[in-house]
Amino acid sequence: MRLKILLFGLYGLLWFSSKTNTSFKKFIRKARVRMMIRTEDGRYARLFIFDMGKITTVTDPDQPFDAALTWKDPKTAFSVLLKQNMEAIFYAAADGNLKIEGMPVYAQWFDAAMGHIM
Amino acid sequence: MSKSTISGGHLVARYLKENENITHVFTLSGGHIEAILDGMTEYNITAIDVRHEQVAAMMAHAWSVYNNTPGVCLVTAGPGFTNALTGIVNAHLENVPLVVLCGRHPVRDDLKGALQEMNQIDMVKPVTKWAATCYDPRRIPEYLSIAFRQATMGRPGPVFLELPPDILFAEIDSSSAPVPSRRRHKTAVRPETSDLEAAARIINSAQKPVLIGGSGIGMSDCGASLKSFVDKTGIPFALVNYGRGVLPDDHPLSLSEGGFTGIASGLPVADVVVAVGLRFNWVLQSGQLFPDAKVIRIDIDPSELDRNMTATVGLEGDAGMVLDQLLPLVEKRDHTEWVDTFKRACTAFMTTELEKRQQPSDPIHPARLVEQVMSVFGNDAYYVADGGDTTYYGLSGFSSVHRAGVLIPAGGLLGCLGTGIPFALAAKLAHPDKPVIVLNGDGSFGFNSMEFDTAVRHNIPIICVVNNDCAWGMIKHSQEISLGHDRCTCSELGMRHYEKMVEGLGGYGELVTKDEEIVPALKRAVASGKPACINVVTDPTVTSQATILFYQSFGEL
Repeated sequence: MRLKILLFGLYGLLWFSSKTNTSFKKFIRKARVRMMIRTEDGRYARLFIFDMGKITTVTDPDQPFDAALTWKDPKTAFSVLLKQNMEAIFYAAADGNLKIEGMPVYAQWFDAAMGHIM
Repeated sequence: MSKSTISGGHLVARYLKENENITHVFTLSGGHIEAILDGMTEYNITAIDVRHEQVAAMMAHAWSVYNNTPGVCLVTAGPGFTNALTGIVNAHLENVPLVVLCGRHPVRDDLKGALQEMNQIDMVKPVTKWAATCYDPRRIPEYLSIAFRQATMGRPGPVFLELPPDILFAEIDSSSAPVPSRRRHKTAVRPETSDLEAAARIINSAQKPVLIGGSGIGMSDCGASLKSFVDKTGIPFALVNYGRGVLPDDHPLSLSEGGFTGIASGLPVADVVVAVGLRFNWVLQSGQLFPDAKVIRIDIDPSELDRNMTATVGLEGDAGMVLDQLLPLVEKRDHTEWVDTFKRACTAFMTTELEKRQQPSDPIHPARLVEQVMSVFGNDAYYVADGGDTTYYGLSGFSSVHRAGVLIPAGGLLGCLGTGIPFALAAKLAHPDKPVIVLNGDGSFGFNSMEFDTAVRHNIPIICVVNNDCAWGMIKHSQEISLGHDRCTCSELGMRHYEKMVEGLGGYGELVTKDEEIVPALKRAVASGKPACINVVTDPTVTSQATILFYQSFGEL
């Protein structure tokens, strides 16, 4: 449940920033990126859709994506995502708690986008 | 010609053979340079004559890389010169000791509107380390000596020597053309002891270090020094550009396998990056991949030490010499846990690509194609990749135990497509007993595919695998992202039977459309003993990570 709230909160932050944060708006204005964050079992999922400056979201884990952070379990996902840094993501991947599916370069883009609002 | 006299052209060849031990010259014939060509026959230098001067320059460039000696190309005046320019610029941007000998209109006819009269020197000066015209046949050995020294001393680079026919056809007394004693200097620049100690302190206290070695490692040919350094410090390493393979990809500390994705997944968390002979340019995202790391930069050119990112410690000098100087100052360390963590994370970051490699697919995924090629030839082979997306998949999937065993010359600063076939030809000439495979995009194949004629005439049996997505894939997919699928422009190529073109030139060709056909086709290509083209139709919808990076580099404009 905590992960669900975190992901929804993240969407809210992204949407709000897309209206108010100048550097974030500039960063995403030409991007078409579908970034999925989900758990392996599909119980928790949120797709963030960046489309030329607009941000929308869906919760279907089977939607197509450019990159996906697929977590082994929601607890680890929550604790790592809350840390908001690449190092935590890296160690989660090394420990087998996370797979980066699709193209990792989009995950790095997403991380850079977050850098504009955090 | 009496024994005591010699023509300028023969003098050129004699110098190349006797003073620089040049065995091969890459050329395309022309009237202005006839005397040199004849001299090469006289002095038993193998002339590899190609079908476009661009290829002569690119093959000589590649010869430098594979043999670690200057490569020599010989081109004629005017269009021979302008055709070679792309190859010269490529060597300039990659710091390769390419020696270009070029014809020129006769001095006698200056300003008269002579055939191919043009100012070549002013055109080539900005893209060479040194450019000159020799006007006196007696000074030919002196000029050649300067050319080779300039090409190899300090940071290497291309040089250009223009030789007018007036001096090439002139006959002179041999004794009037003194040959300078061959002088080749290795730089002896040494960093300050305090800087070496500072670097060692950082290395000794590192918890998550990574060493990245670039072309400077390759040019220094310092495999033994690098091995001693990484074995003592325990630092995992990735070797890129012409540094690839100085230590084999299967070294336990190597992070080279996995290509860019593999390296990029771990660099952001490294606490110390040791960059050896590596420029922080566009290809390395100007160092932005590791913004928080302490960075030790070693380069033969001091202007590189703080370029785009200020080094924590900058050490000027030849890569191998500086590593040798650091060796007694660094402590014996064991970073096994960090190396294992890095490799496991790399695997997690490459989840999809690793799956694609293992699964047969219809249409064929390029990552699967590379995997199938590797299954036939293994790591005891030389691989070259050429193209856009094709370069990404080649770099990511190929591995070799050989120095320069995996090269992606199109991935250099010039982004020069068309380099694949020339590099593969040079690799096969340098290593005739090893398989040489070039993975070519269908777009990049078009630039120099006529060189299969060269391969047939000179019996250079390379195997070219065309990753045929019927498009300029990287451009097409970038346009799809930026302009939309319905507005792609000039990026479609259509289905073409490149294998038949190679057959027509006397080589071996096959078309492959199914996964299960790839391996048998490659084996038949080997068995043919001919230069071969296996034209593999691959999934046109696949976009590589390189395309996304390429697009992003413009996306922020």
